[in-house]
Amino acid sequence: MQIKEDKQDDVMVVTVTEHLDSATASVFESRLLGLVDRGERRIVVDCGLLDYVNSAGLKVFLLAAKRLEPLGGKLVLCALAPSVLMIFEMIGFTRIMKITASREDALRVLRGDGAAA
Amino acid sequence: MHEGSITIRLPADVREIERLNRLVRQFGELHEIPTRALYAVNLALDEVVTNVVLYGFETSAGQVVAVRVETAGDDLHSEVVDGGREFNPLTVPVPDLTVALEERALGGLGIQLVRSLMDRVEYRRDGAKNVLTMRKRIR
Repeated sequence: MQIKEDKQDDVMVVTVTEHLDSATASVFESRLLGLVDRGERRIVVDCGLLDYVNSAGLKVFLLAAKRLEPLGGKLVLCALAPSVLMIFEMIGFTRIMKITASREDALRVLRGDGAAA
Repeated sequence: MHEGSITIRLPADVREIERLNRLVRQFGELHEIPTRALYAVNLALDEVVTNVVLYGFETSAGQVVAVRVETAGDDLHSEVVDGGREFNPLTVPVPDLTVALEERALGGLGIQLVRSLMDRVEYRRDGAKNVLTMRKRIR
């Protein structure tokens, strides 16, 4: 797993690659929640290069989304591979998280969203 | 898909899960198991074995988890056997997937995935061992 951060105006774009599993989820969790703690409120996670996620990884997305919501922030995920998207659907996350096809769509969603601080 | 089976004995250590995943994928590719079914079995085994390794033993040093995957006609059979404390993962409550984000529970995601990914999941206690068997239909 590799994690990259790329701040684009007021949106933080995080790229996570390869395997998000029990061995790597805790590192991803501290990075993602660390961003929220440091005041980031509009976060995109680009999953375009993510090919495997298990429940430990899913839990990190859920934690981050739950933490951002009461702060007026928003998490948007983009570019999920079909196999990863299938897992998000199966666990019901497509109902409670915003998921877009591309990074551009994700940025558009967050920039058009006046709710965030 | 070709007939065959693989048996993997893993030390009860979370760092071994990656090896399990790799071996299951290699087995699947060698036996030409369709990609979606292989992905499902890989992930389900990851969830079950991770849970056993993290919570199944008082002390995991020296403990082993045995995993077997077998092709059987149009089915993939998987079995996980461990000598840890008695635990039936099918007793874990099903999380409510319809509630709002703020009410979504953080627990139970792994076993819920296993239930959804597999066509059949059965647990039995066999002497001092937990035996979880799973079936996935290929077509």
